[in-house]
Amino acid sequence: MGKEYEFTQIIKDNEGVIFKITTIYTNNQEDQKDLYQEIVYQLWKAFESFRGDAKISTWMYRVALNTAITRIKKEKRRGNRIGIDKVIMLQTEQYDTEFEERLKILYSHIKGLNELEKGLMLLLLEGKKYEEIASITGLSPSNVGTRISRIKEKLRTQIIKE
Amino acid sequence: MELEEMQSIWSELSGQLEKQKKLTDKMIIMMTQDKFRSKINKIAYPEIIGTFVCFGAAILIIVNFNKLDNWYTLLSGIVTLFILIILPVLSLTSINRMRKVEIATSNYKETLLNYAKGKKQFQTVTKWGYYLGFILMFAIMPVTTKILNNKDLFSETKRVWPFAIAIPLAIVFFIVFSKWVMKFYNNNINSAESLIKELEDTNV
Repeated sequence: MGKEYEFTQIIKDNEGVIFKITTIYTNNQEDQKDLYQEIVYQLWKAFESFRGDAKISTWMYRVALNTAITRIKKEKRRGNRIGIDKVIMLQTEQYDTEFEERLKILYSHIKGLNELEKGLMLLLLEGKKYEEIASITGLSPSNVGTRISRIKEKLRTQIIKE
Repeated sequence: MELEEMQSIWSELSGQLEKQKKLTDKMIIMMTQDKFRSKINKIAYPEIIGTFVCFGAAILIIVNFNKLDNWYTLLSGIVTLFILIILPVLSLTSINRMRKVEIATSNYKETLLNYAKGKKQFQTVTKWGYYLGFILMFAIMPVTTKILNNKDLFSETKRVWPFAIAIPLAIVFFIVFSKWVMKFYNNNINSAESLIKELEDTNV
């Protein structure tokens, strides 16, 4: 019971993070619900082998991002989806329209990046330092810096095009 | 939208999400259990059924191979056997490769690299699957006619006109279809390739 309790606490503490990852890596709510559930499942599976070598947040981002990029699309999910509909719906319901609009623009910018850049951008927005981004992604901190500069450049070009 | 503005929206979003926590212990536990059940059910059903069908047909041809008594039915038999065996093996191998990625222990870069390689392989196999499937459609006809009805499709067919219509139509269809296949899969393969190149160029 102790293990289950510890796990549910981690998920509860990070449910917002999982929500943001699922929004970036999917294009519709059905996919988002599937991915949300898949991430929780993969975290549960990986929790067994988690020995605390890395920070819990590093471990969590790593598993969640890996799950998001390896999800085989168009695969029929035969199991029933748990009622996370409510979770996802309610989280977006309460925003004002102006904020919702700005958020949409932000998501469209992120979704325009490639898979590697998308992950880097997400971690940057999450306020992670280059060292932690490096440890999650497997890139060197200097490489993270170079790539983030390139992403900034890319975003600027996108803005000019608009 | 500048990065600073993005960061401010993101942190506002994070704050909102933090305030609206909805998950309960029960929901989390159910998600893990439910996923476990669905995992058992969803193991590449179409691919496995396809493999059984292909291997079944291949066994039928092997058992009746002695009935293929002239060069063209024999050649068709060999081509058919080759396609029926090689295609499902390649397809299952590449799906397996994509699934074998170690989610819990790999970092983002390793996962992306392995997945992109698997995806490229899968897309290439699928693309060739369309071409080989088309060849199979023709190659299997004389073989099945011979094995199931003991008839030679070429020398014992009395009415030629159905073939005279069907074959040119099939060729036109193949040309149009293969152009679409090339465009669709080449785009996917190229994007996977460029990601692989980008990741391999990274000096860590």
